[in-house]
Amino acid sequence: MEKTCFHCGDNLPTVPIHKDEKQFCCTGCSNVYSLLKDNHLGEFYNFEQQPGIKPERLRADKFNFLDISEIRKRFIQFENEKMVRVTLSLPAIHCTSCIYLLENAQKLHPAIINCQVHFAKKEATIVFDPKALKLSELATFLSRIGYEPNFGKKENKSVIDKTFLLKIGIAGFAFGSIMLWSAPEYFGIEKDNLFFRNFTSYLTLAISIPVLLYSANEYFISAFKAVRSKVLNLDVPITIGIIALYAQSLYSILKNEGPGYMDSFAGFIFFLLIGKWFQSVSYRSLSFDRDYSSYFPVAVTKLSDDLDEIIPIEKLAQNDVILIRNEEIIPCDSTLISEEAEIDYSFVTGESDPVSKIKNDLVYAGGRVIGKSIQLKVNATTDRSHLTQLWNETLNKKKEHQLVRYQDRIAQYFLVIILILSVICAGIWTFIDPHMITKVIVSILIVACPCALALSAPFTLGNTMRVFGKSGFFLKNTTVIEALGEITDIVFDKTGTLTDPNNYEISSSINYETEVEKNILATLTKNSTHPLSRAIYNSLNQFQEIQLVDFKEFKGQGIETNFDGNTYRLGNAKFCKVEKQMEAQVYFVKNETLIGQFELKSHFREGLKPMFEQLQGKDIRILSGDSEKDLKPLLQLGLKENQIHFHQTPKDKYNFVEKLKSEGKKVLMIGDGLNDTGALGIADVGIALSEDMFRFTPSSDAILDAKQLTKLPNFFMGVSFSKFVLKVCLAFSITYNIIGLSFATTGALSPIVAAVLMPISSVTVVLISTLLVQIRFRKGF
Amino acid sequence: MGIIYLMLVVSLIIAIFFLISFLWAAKSGQYDDDYTPSVRILYEDEPILNDDKDGSRKV
Repeated sequence: MEKTCFHCGDNLPTVPIHKDEKQFCCTGCSNVYSLLKDNHLGEFYNFEQQPGIKPERLRADKFNFLDISEIRKRFIQFENEKMVRVTLSLPAIHCTSCIYLLENAQKLHPAIINCQVHFAKKEATIVFDPKALKLSELATFLSRIGYEPNFGKKENKSVIDKTFLLKIGIAGFAFGSIMLWSAPEYFGIEKDNLFFRNFTSYLTLAISIPVLLYSANEYFISAFKAVRSKVLNLDVPITIGIIALYAQSLYSILKNEGPGYMDSFAGFIFFLLIGKWFQSVSYRSLSFDRDYSSYFPVAVTKLSDDLDEIIPIEKLAQNDVILIRNEEIIPCDSTLISEEAEIDYSFVTGESDPVSKIKNDLVYAGGRVIGKSIQLKVNATTDRSHLTQLWNETLNKKKEHQLVRYQDRIAQYFLVIILILSVICAGIWTFIDPHMITKVIVSILIVACPCALALSAPFTLGNTMRVFGKSGFFLKNTTVIEALGEITDIVFDKTGTLTDPNNYEISSSINYETEVEKNILATLTKNSTHPLSRAIYNSLNQFQEIQLVDFKEFKGQGIETNFDGNTYRLGNAKFCKVEKQMEAQVYFVKNETLIGQFELKSHFREGLKPMFEQLQGKDIRILSGDSEKDLKPLLQLGLKENQIHFHQTPKDKYNFVEKLKSEGKKVLMIGDGLNDTGALGIADVGIALSEDMFRFTPSSDAILDAKQLTKLPNFFMGVSFSKFVLKVCLAFSITYNIIGLSFATTGALSPIVAAVLMPISSVTVVLISTLLVQIRFRKGF
Repeated sequence: MGIIYLMLVVSLIIAIFFLISFLWAAKSGQYDDDYTPSVRILYEDEPILNDDKDGSRKV
């Protein structure tokens, strides 16, 4: 018997839902299955194994803001009486079957006219009938089949890609054409035919101008910015080389001495741009698409005397009263009107313990309300860009500055060496032939242009990122690879990381008096992020969610709610004030009378022991929020008692990592990303383990598919291998530079030497980095 | 020798033709998505009606 859900592939709960001899993990999945089957789209299941996405249970009014005309207008591209066209970002698109399902959406819903998927951008352009379907209903429909639209961000990513292609096209065109016309020049044909030489030279000059002004402009801009902020990056020596190359060639053309190094110039730009393009392509395929702004509210509930209305946050005025519910983000700086509030500022500060506020306290934008809904009075108006800025600043400040890119570090040595070499050569040539000084120095600058070096990092690291990505390890950017290479200490979170949150053995005894209690239990556990709550939630079925206004989560204890005058609590025995029963850890009480109890046994993931053995070179620590009950199995995994720390709150974890860092250690923190936001954020590298690849943790540097956790040592091996490849590339490009310099310093650098050396060095470096990485990891990890 | 000038100009014209067609293709979005069209072509135009009970076709 299959043990996974036929639709989404998740592990089945203890009581799966049966339909047509198939098993499903939840009503959502089985509903989607029925919907597809009834519309003859069963083929969906033939393309890939368990292709579906588990639909999240939705609050019915979640997308109501889409019916406000200002907000609606923002997303609609075209509209007339018969049809509306929107392009929605659907982050859940991940496989061939997704394309099939979405492109057949018109068969699932009569009001949808057409749907076209853009796989790379994870977008769908949908045409629908506005008379039969509202935009909010469309969003709800898509969420119901598992593709919840992301309304957070509305910028067009492909614009950058397009100008990039244009730049590459122009550079490539110029490179090819100039090479062709330079052929006679290379072989000394028609050397004395001045008219012919001038003809090709000026043609070359004409074509090189757009390359200089358009294709190469970002190198100039980047180098200029770097110099202005007094740092050196690799673009500085590149720009110097490009300018030297161009100036020398221009001079030679104007003096009727032939087209100079224009071919090398266009070639440089062409290869450099290809390197950059490759890098951007490897980034695009990553799951980090869902960035912070998708969490931001687009609209907010405004309370006034007679009615509550939903308005866009830009329309908020000072002194408006707004209602923020559990898990919603506070859109602007405001004063608290409700008696008390719990606010989680983990996205802003990295601190995951919620902050308590009381009436009349000032509440800052960017926090997330936990528990009860609260009322706020607006102090300062806001817009989304302000919020985005707030989050980006605090999160990125910390990390981006720690890491100087590998190539930029080398660039500094590079510049110094070139300068010294130029001075020495100038000195020597004064004695031999002072007329040659300019030519020699320009030649040195041309040859030393670190084009091959600039290509080695994007190709090596980009390829490594790709092979990692194929194995379920997604990095935020290439600097993470460099940071991983320096790791000395690894800190694991226990619950949900070393243990498998989908693999709880739940034994429960519950006596519901009414259906309401079951519904309350379901809603409570859904709203809690604790792994045990999630496990209980997954084991429930056939319930209806209810709107809980009052909801309090006590970290490490339990959750509480008031409903119809009764107090419900779910949590440990002490919290629920009941006698501890045998092995049960979680209790559910109504006004202190026991309704049910749950015993959850966590299982450690498979293959941890060999993983720990392979990771012996690094210091391993385990942090657990639980009690010592799991000590024994952990010791059996080959760990020592002093490596394991129990009773750790999120704050303790944060401090623990901070302390290791202050001792000069490079720390890798691996957690499930829910309770460890702070620790993940402060660690040198924070890896969020993800059961489904669509969940996103803003403070992490990488997302690792939970199934791949035990391959961690292999990923470390991959990192050191890519470091080795980088060194090989460095050796190659330096060799080429030395050969070139030997021509340059002796004043013998002719255009043909440059034209041969430059492409060969670039192409070999690209080939080496790509082939080595791809061949080494051909079979995955 | 005169022929080489003609050749140069012709080669330039051909190259410009290809450049323009590339720019046009890039601008019209042909390189935006290199995956979906390759999959789309594989789907059946008509829904499969002869599916058996479980909704999926036995292969």
